Amino acid sequence: MKSRKFISKLFFYLGIILIVLFMTIPVYILFRVSFAVPEDVLTSHPKFLITRFEFKHWEQVFRSGNLWPPLYKSFIVATFTMVLALIIAAPASYAISRFDRKIKYAIILTLFFTRMFPNVGIALPISVTFLKWNLMDTNLGLVMAHLIEQLPFIAWILVSTFETIPIDLEEAASIDGAGRLRTLLKIVLPVAAPGLAVAAMFTWLNSWNEFTYALYLSLTTKTLPLQIYYYVLRGGFFQQAAYSTILTIPVLIITFALQRYIRSDYLGGAIKG
Amino acid sequence: MKFIKKYYFELLLILPLAIYILGFTIVPILKTILLSFQDKNTGAFGFSTYQYLFAKKDFNLAIFNTIAVTIVGLTFQLVVGLFIAMVLKYNFKGKGLVRSLVLLPMGVPTLVSGVTLLYIFGTQGYLNELLYKLGIITKPIAWTSGGIKNIFVIAFADSWKVLPVVVLLLLAGLESIPNDVYEASAIDGASKTQTFFYVTLPLLKPSITMTMILRAVDSFRIFELPKILAGRVTPFLATYAYDEYSYNNLNASAAASTILLLIIIIFMVLYFRFVDRGEGVKGEK
Repeated sequence: MKSRKFISKLFFYLGIILIVLFMTIPVYILFRVSFAVPEDVLTSHPKFLITRFEFKHWEQVFRSGNLWPPLYKSFIVATFTMVLALIIAAPASYAISRFDRKIKYAIILTLFFTRMFPNVGIALPISVTFLKWNLMDTNLGLVMAHLIEQLPFIAWILVSTFETIPIDLEEAASIDGAGRLRTLLKIVLPVAAPGLAVAAMFTWLNSWNEFTYALYLSLTTKTLPLQIYYYVLRGGFFQQAAYSTILTIPVLIITFALQRYIRSDYLGGAIKG
Repeated sequence: MKFIKKYYFELLLILPLAIYILGFTIVPILKTILLSFQDKNTGAFGFSTYQYLFAKKDFNLAIFNTIAVTIVGLTFQLVVGLFIAMVLKYNFKGKGLVRSLVLLPMGVPTLVSGVTLLYIFGTQGYLNELLYKLGIITKPIAWTSGGIKNIFVIAFADSWKVLPVVVLLLLAGLESIPNDVYEASAIDGASKTQTFFYVTLPLLKPSITMTMILRAVDSFRIFELPKILAGRVTPFLATYAYDEYSYNNLNASAAASTILLLIIIIFMVLYFRFVDRGEGVKGEK
């Protein structure tokens, strides 16, 4: 009886080890390739373990001058997308959370269904329009395009944030003679601030990673994901790995810092990272 | 009017969001659908674009691939995701660390997960080397050369990336099942397998529905991973739509997008009609 228990325990831990290996090995390989000596990985028998480091690829990446413009563009676009998404979606989400149940669900479902549309189908007329408006290759154009995906996403998260704020709080403020706008700005938003911050950071990440709209709306400029794609097409074996690592670092940090905030209603808004 | 009077402040706050979604999501989609029914040369309304598309081998292949990758990927994700979620429900030493490591792919951008899997599934990649070392193969296999193998590679890449989301959704569902249900089924003498199929799975249905719908919609729209992993060898509907756009065939691109939208809608209708019968989404939120 005891040995049977031991065996089932053994299988349990074996399963856990398999799961962990499955989840971590691809990340390890990415890191490994970005620091690899060419002979170790560019053969038909690549080595698994890191025996020596090589910083040459990284030096090339930093020196080539191909890094800073996309990095800057990605950063600016992600930041402005985040700020604008907050400004547009936060008041709206507050309002949605204060509606009757029925209206609230109708709006939430509508937000959900806009997520269903294929983004290539939206990107096509958007890029035709933006060409007319001279917004191709501009940061503004890309921010506007990223907002298309990020607004429903952030609104979905924020509605559930505002729902947790008791309405009594506002009633107390209105008895004290505060107007509704004043109540929102001075009472509700400060209480909701942590939730707003978390949602904002996820929005930033989504925009930082975004590829489809960037591909449609860029002719000569590049965001960081486009730069990676460019090296994939050209077969830049080490550049792919190095640029991918750069793109990944902020995502990894923010995701793990915010780990405990990732709840299932956030996932409903579809965090992909 | 009473409604507007009661909610004027709320409506004012929603207005910018509503206008944005209307102008930059609803209108473009309608434009795309309209464009897909227009002839490329004459501009007359009709089905000529669709006739052109369905006569193309690549487009039919794209429809097949899109549906195939969704079926393969979703099956894999649900099975493996449920397995991991059940493991994480137990208490064991180092659970916090394991949970964090399971979330790792979440911190890796989709595009990057594609690049990484390129290193694994490349002809000179790590999978071939592993199989070679284990003595299973002697000659490397070209995993990404097209055909059915490519579908599995892309489904695998997609699954790796989204498993954390699937696990978290299912885990939340598992944790919401009260313990006395299990106690009751143990008293009734149900075996572990019976408990799983007759207690856990039915109670998990709302979570499974949520996962299926979110994942299926994303999987039908799959774009980045095929772009990185398959090039033009294995077309999918979204990448096909992009290719037509890049050849300046706007009508064909619009029609491919419309077909994609149609597939998503058909899937939703069938799912709610035959699998879920409307209990899933209502249970959420």
